[in-house]
Amino acid sequence: MESVEKPRVRVVGEEKVKLKKSFVKPWMGIKYLFKKPVTIKIPYEKIEPAPKYRGFHTLDWKKCIGCNFCGQICPARAIEMTWIEVDGKVEKRPHPKVDYGRCTFCQFCVDVCPTGALGHVENYYLTTAGLEEDLQLYDWVPIDPKKVRELNEKFNDYRFPVERIKFNKETKEVTYYLRDGTEFKFKILGYGLKPPAAAKPKPAAKPAEKPAEKKEEPKSKEKKE
Amino acid sequence: MIDWKLILEAIGILIYATFMGFIFMGIERKAMARIQRRIGPPIYQPIIDTLKLLGKKESVSHGFIYDFGPIFALGATITALLFLPVANFQLFSSNADLIVVAYLLEVPMLGIMLGAMSSGNPYSAVGVQRGLLTMVAMQLPYGLALIAIVQHFETFKLSEIVALQSLNGWSILVPALLLAMIVFDIVFQAMLGLEPFDIITAPAEISMGPMVEYGGKHAAILFTQHAVQLFAETTFFTILFLGGASNLLELLIKQIAVLFIAIFVASIYPRFTIDQAAKFFWKWPTIIGIIAVLLTM
Repeated sequence: MESVEKPRVRVVGEEKVKLKKSFVKPWMGIKYLFKKPVTIKIPYEKIEPAPKYRGFHTLDWKKCIGCNFCGQICPARAIEMTWIEVDGKVEKRPHPKVDYGRCTFCQFCVDVCPTGALGHVENYYLTTAGLEEDLQLYDWVPIDPKKVRELNEKFNDYRFPVERIKFNKETKEVTYYLRDGTEFKFKILGYGLKPPAAAKPKPAAKPAEKPAEKKEEPKSKEKKE
Repeated sequence: MIDWKLILEAIGILIYATFMGFIFMGIERKAMARIQRRIGPPIYQPIIDTLKLLGKKESVSHGFIYDFGPIFALGATITALLFLPVANFQLFSSNADLIVVAYLLEVPMLGIMLGAMSSGNPYSAVGVQRGLLTMVAMQLPYGLALIAIVQHFETFKLSEIVALQSLNGWSILVPALLLAMIVFDIVFQAMLGLEPFDIITAPAEISMGPMVEYGGKHAAILFTQHAVQLFAETTFFTILFLGGASNLLELLIKQIAVLFIAIFVASIYPRFTIDQAAKFFWKWPTIIGIIAVLLTM
């Protein structure tokens, strides 16, 4: 046991790292006066975000099976499952709704998604005014990735693909006004993992299995508050 | 009788000095930005800033002295400007206008201090204490530099100093006065409140020093005062050491040369603490100043 080697730590002598004070050397700093500034003139020049920059989410509505893995892993609890009716047809499974007021863009939800339905694009630019109807924009069910890429090719400025979101409280109809002028409409029937009354008739048998996962139930109730 | 011509000339010089002062402030910001490899604001940015401050709706006041301070400072700077021979125009002149100008350029700091003290903010108090200590410390080399000038030219009149320099060449060509110029340039940095001696305002250290409570129109007056003072001080430097100027363009070139030296020094040296500044002023500039005075005897 005595033969345990001492960890060899190399210490550089202080005289090697200590700099001499100088009166003249600071004048070297002036050399940058005639060099080109390294600034990027943002309104006129563009920067490309990294190819897998963690930006806004996309959701393939055909692939999402409503397993709520994303909602469980989300550290900010920004994901809430939502029951949706598109063109009069109730989706069999709930879809995640992301609240960008809380989302930290860690994209754990993308990693955990078993079917690969939830993904992300490089778009990161989202600014609104403080009005109530503008703030609707921060709470959305992500749209299809193909649509987002199409919008990116058209505008290429990495903004949020939706310009305005209108939520009708009576009919619960949500309208996304996309940036190229098309509208995307659906209805929100309810939140949480339990199917709401409106969604019941068809998929009654399947969500009945769900309450077995009791852990989620209190969570979804908390969110409603 | 009211001398209308004099009044018009005074207003003309004032407008020119204010405008050019703001442009100098813009140049200062732009050059500092370029040294830091930034693009910086446009050169007319200080004018926009001042107009914005003038457009503020509310302006906090802490009593009469608080309002009076900035105006007093601005008035003192304008008076100093009117005594200076700006190119060919010298509106007022007296037998000893060098001393008048030299001290009127110090008075604005007192005005700011006066207003700042009445705000009752502890940061202002710390800033005022530092400002007055800097003023006390820089008086000695400042005085020595002026004494060297006066002893060499044997006159107190600024216009005569300019005339003598146009006859015998610039005063920095004289070795003794070159030393005096170095001393004056160090003091100049403190007078403008630029970096090695910007202990008075000390952004990020004591939030803004004396000006911490000033906002809105008061701050706009202080901005204007700074602009006029920048113009007056660079002109004073030009007159004393660079041989004055016969027209405004020549004056402008010399002023910008002076300004750029100040900007370079300001952008490369870090700030002194107040005790270091006092020690520094009483050490090197004083020694050089004494040598300059002895050489001119």
